[in-house]
Amino acid sequence: MAENLLKNDHVDFITSGVSISLASWRPGHPPTMSRGMGCKVLDDGRQVGVFILRSQSAALLDCIRTSRRVANVFSLPSTNRTLQLKGADAEVQTFEAADWPVVEAHLSNFMQEVRPLGLPESVVRAVLAFNADDLVTVVYSPNAVFSQTPGPNAGERLGGA
Amino acid sequence: MSLRLDNLRECLEGIIPGHIATCDPEGVPNLAYLSQVQFIDSQHVALSYQFFNRTRQNVLAGSPVQLLLTSHLTGAQYRLGLRYLRTETAGPLFEQMKAKLAGIASHTGMSGVFRLLGADIYQVGDIEQVPGPTVASPPSLINLLTALRRTVARIGTCATLECLLETTLDALDEEFGIAHAMLLMHDEGRGRLYTLASRGYAESGVGSEIPVGDGVIGVCARERTPIRIGFMTAEYGYGRAIREGWIAGGLGDTLETAIPLPGLPEARSQLAVPILAFERLIGVLYVESVADLHFGYDDEDALVALAAQLGMAVHFHQQQEDQAEEPSFVGVVTPAISGTPLLVRHFAGNDSVFLGDDYLIKGVAGAILWALLTDYVERGRTVFTNKSLRVDSRVRLPDLGDNLEARLVLLRRRLDERQAGIHLEKSGRGRFVLSVDRPLHLGEG
Repeated sequence: MAENLLKNDHVDFITSGVSISLASWRPGHPPTMSRGMGCKVLDDGRQVGVFILRSQSAALLDCIRTSRRVANVFSLPSTNRTLQLKGADAEVQTFEAADWPVVEAHLSNFMQEVRPLGLPESVVRAVLAFNADDLVTVVYSPNAVFSQTPGPNAGERLGGA
Repeated sequence: MSLRLDNLRECLEGIIPGHIATCDPEGVPNLAYLSQVQFIDSQHVALSYQFFNRTRQNVLAGSPVQLLLTSHLTGAQYRLGLRYLRTETAGPLFEQMKAKLAGIASHTGMSGVFRLLGADIYQVGDIEQVPGPTVASPPSLINLLTALRRTVARIGTCATLECLLETTLDALDEEFGIAHAMLLMHDEGRGRLYTLASRGYAESGVGSEIPVGDGVIGVCARERTPIRIGFMTAEYGYGRAIREGWIAGGLGDTLETAIPLPGLPEARSQLAVPILAFERLIGVLYVESVADLHFGYDDEDALVALAAQLGMAVHFHQQQEDQAEEPSFVGVVTPAISGTPLLVRHFAGNDSVFLGDDYLIKGVAGAILWALLTDYVERGRTVFTNKSLRVDSRVRLPDLGDNLEARLVLLRRRLDERQAGIHLEKSGRGRFVLSVDRPLHLGEG
């Protein structure tokens, strides 16, 4: 069974109003990335599922299907706290209707988080706009956790080999 | 039609942080946030190098690079393929990024954490817009090309340096909507910039000085490159901070700060543009605003183009003023004046001039005034030319390229602001007349 690298604090953080992005790479192509529309934690923290848009992520999904390797960053704009998870067993799964409330809650929390920054709400809504049938879920087991909060400890490994 | 980087520059202002994806030699991807992306040209950008992190290790190991940038105006997202070229650790680009980063750090609570170690320069490859809805970009309040065209036409009608200064400041306000601006001239010999004209401040600050290399204006002058900051930062603030710096640096000459630099105490956006002519630094045009991110890349381009015109115009006027011939007579019958004599004191060490106990001016402008007043008192001379002053051994102009006319404008403005009762009136190209309201008593300090 995979080691559980995510502490409760990490789980709380990545499921809050953070900005989420997911990257992957496959041989012969540049690395690529997309924004996440939310995430869920599975198997008691041993797995993470990230929701992304198929229409925005054709190259990313190809990379994930080929290499199964992902880098997943979560950052809270108000504090700059940033966490990066990595995985080597990522799978692309169908989005489950049961995850709708998770996506909605994430977008609402994120909106609240960025509102004080003064960005027009219409712009934020455009960045996060999607059709429900465009969502897919990328599930992976975090095998390394890094702090990426800017500062002297940026890049510090918080767990994993 | 393929996308061009120069049309996406709002994405580089750092309002919505960009992302950078790389991978290590084993194929492990890495994702990081970017604090700064600097536009160089339509094929090149620079990224700030602040920490030797995984991204940098991967880049130096030859990883391909992709950026994800987002427009804070439209919500449009773009992916850019990049190829690393080199790193610069000094020079104009480095200083532009260092100043901008100071503003970003201050805005994001990262002052003291963000420190620029280098400007990593990349070649930009493919640019792809990420599918998704966008909103219409808000309309610009100012058409910058029209403002530039009208301003250039207006300054083209000026026959004197003073007209050029005033017309430029008028046009910045009326055409560009920039209400707070200063024009500073370069004193090459002393490594200083002195304020010659300003607009939008309670005090004009004419005669105030900034060392080359200090703050937004001084760094702009040293590097001869525009410096633009979008958020308030103490690191590049003026006033008290600079004054303290001078004192700490042993430059605590009280006269240095006798004339306060004008400026908004709460400036959030600052833009300084060098004024150049034939690769020589003539001065700096500085504008500021209390709003965040008031000046963008397009404003910077417009003011750089304006400064180029201004530089050539200033150079032209200087040439014209210097070529005027000597008048056929050097003295006139001075009208009889009466009243309490005004004590004018000169301190040769720094050529400072005091009217009574009040400081007026120093340096080259001080030496000029002292020479004029001495000739007036001793010989009754009232008519002078730039040409004669340029070769006057008492004035000691730094070199032939020095802008004498700018010194005279500075002197005239200081005299007028202090209501000193001493007037310098331009009487023709390269000529001026001295008049006084009451008797003068000259004394060496």
